[in-house]
Amino acid sequence: MEILVCVKQVPDDSVAVHLKQGTQKVNLEGITAVVNAFDTYALEMAVRLKEAVGGTVTVVTIGGEETKSAVKDCLAVGADQGFLVSDPSFAGADMLGKSRILAAAAKYLEKVSGKPFDIIFCGREATDHANGQVGCQLAETLGVGIVTDLVDIEKTKAGVCCRKQTEEGYLRIESPCPCVVTVSKPAYDPRYPTIKSKLAARRMSIPVLTLEQLGNIPVQRHGFCTVKVFEPPKRKAGVKIQEEDSSDSAQKAIKMMVDAKLL
Amino acid sequence: MNWGNQRDILVFVEQKSGQPVNAGLEGLTSAHALAEVSGGRVLALLAGADNSAGVKRAASCGADVILSVQGASFQNGCGDAFFYALEQMAGKYHPGAVIAANTPLGQELTARFSARHGLGNVQDAVALRIQDGTPVWTVPAYGGTILTNVVPNAVPFAATVRSGAFQKAVTTAKKPLIVEEMVSVPDSALHTKVLESVREIAEEINLEDAKVIVAGGRGMGNKENFALVEELAKVLGGVVGATRPAIESGWVSRAHQVGQSGKTVAPALYIGCGISGAIQHVSSIMNSGYIVAVNKDEDAPIFDIANIGIVGDVMQILPVMIEEIKKRKAG
Repeated sequence: MEILVCVKQVPDDSVAVHLKQGTQKVNLEGITAVVNAFDTYALEMAVRLKEAVGGTVTVVTIGGEETKSAVKDCLAVGADQGFLVSDPSFAGADMLGKSRILAAAAKYLEKVSGKPFDIIFCGREATDHANGQVGCQLAETLGVGIVTDLVDIEKTKAGVCCRKQTEEGYLRIESPCPCVVTVSKPAYDPRYPTIKSKLAARRMSIPVLTLEQLGNIPVQRHGFCTVKVFEPPKRKAGVKIQEEDSSDSAQKAIKMMVDAKLL
Repeated sequence: MNWGNQRDILVFVEQKSGQPVNAGLEGLTSAHALAEVSGGRVLALLAGADNSAGVKRAASCGADVILSVQGASFQNGCGDAFFYALEQMAGKYHPGAVIAANTPLGQELTARFSARHGLGNVQDAVALRIQDGTPVWTVPAYGGTILTNVVPNAVPFAATVRSGAFQKAVTTAKKPLIVEEMVSVPDSALHTKVLESVREIAEEINLEDAKVIVAGGRGMGNKENFALVEELAKVLGGVVGATRPAIESGWVSRAHQVGQSGKTVAPALYIGCGISGAIQHVSSIMNSGYIVAVNKDEDAPIFDIANIGIVGDVMQILPVMIEEIKKRKAG
């Protein structure tokens, strides 16, 4: 199968993001850029599918030169080739704009290779803005089917059979190819790179696609503008209890909860 | 803000097991605020195999008109069928905004709707304020450490609302108009096919409305230890919550998850056990009335927001707390 995986580079989500003091600008200085966790799950699922049925896994991302490291990370854990889509005119593109850029990139890559993608994988959402939109918008832009929140996938005669996680269980959904899927957290973890795979990834070239290749893409913002960026009010820390005997700590806490009329 | 002739606000009220989901009904509240400035009506769209219970519930949550679309196509949770119904209704009523719950289905429908029509779209809104006639939505980013206010500069637009962020509207005396809409979904609209729907989690967990939540995290160590969290919740008459690591370890079902990919909660009392306080978890419990945290690491971030922070071993602290509360209840 010809598989495309769309990934996004995001700031490490285990680090708390704040504003630059006295400004409305988000301060990402010193926070490591990583591949969005859900995109790493999507890539792992795609690579497993390829390993089962054969084919090629291509990774694509949107961003500046610094985003190439995200693609290299993907090449080290199973992707066969990677592309960066980059153009000054993409700055400030919103979700729908990004979906259109990805759609144009997919079409371009298909034209160049002569092999249409059977399936396009995305993470269910990115950990930075958590909108969960791009996969669905990409499917709509391409006019193909979408199955969201996958935890498993297999190839069938008709296309693919997806296991979609729901709040109380799962749905088994069949879709013909081509289609777009978004991936939630499967039962397995993404593989780790080896020193060898990392070195090999570092040596691979990552072609950059610009408007020159992709043609004009309508990436104007759609209908919303930001009027204020702020941090939510902070909660103050209360008292810390640390008695030598844990039983005393527990009792002290209970007494405080009783005094606060919580019990 | 110019609403033109698109003044109605269409809310897709998602249903689960024949009942509207909380955030679907809460969507009606934000729709009301919008309808007041647009001068239109709040249209509640329900699509299901049997809408009888859902229509009744939506009627008491402030819809002006209920569009009830019933049919077997909506039985098994196929997103394509719901999207088709939404498209048909939006095509018929020309709403100025389409609102849904910030659930996977709500996200999918608003994403597809905005892509198909080239519209603006806000996701996971936690607040809506009307300022000089303009709706100002507040949306979180970076796990909730940053908030952004955004305003639409064109209609129509789409939005999803976070569960628990908006109160359900109080019952209005006015009876809504109930319209049975006939929508038959053509095969050409169905890209995908639901083969099977499996229910694995039988328990109904209502974290959003819980007064007391006792939650456990990685620090509980194993499934046997996690039982202490369940016992403490039981003696307090509370609901069990859990962090992502506790759920991924299989100690409790994902219906209990509190955090960015789970639920946002605001109980009167929240007790976190063996939870260090990842950003996404902390943001989701921030509006709790009173937070008690038990953790052996005295630098755990959860202590920064806890009213009471107990530094110690959960395996020693929790049994004493459980016994003390039992004693007080008996006395």
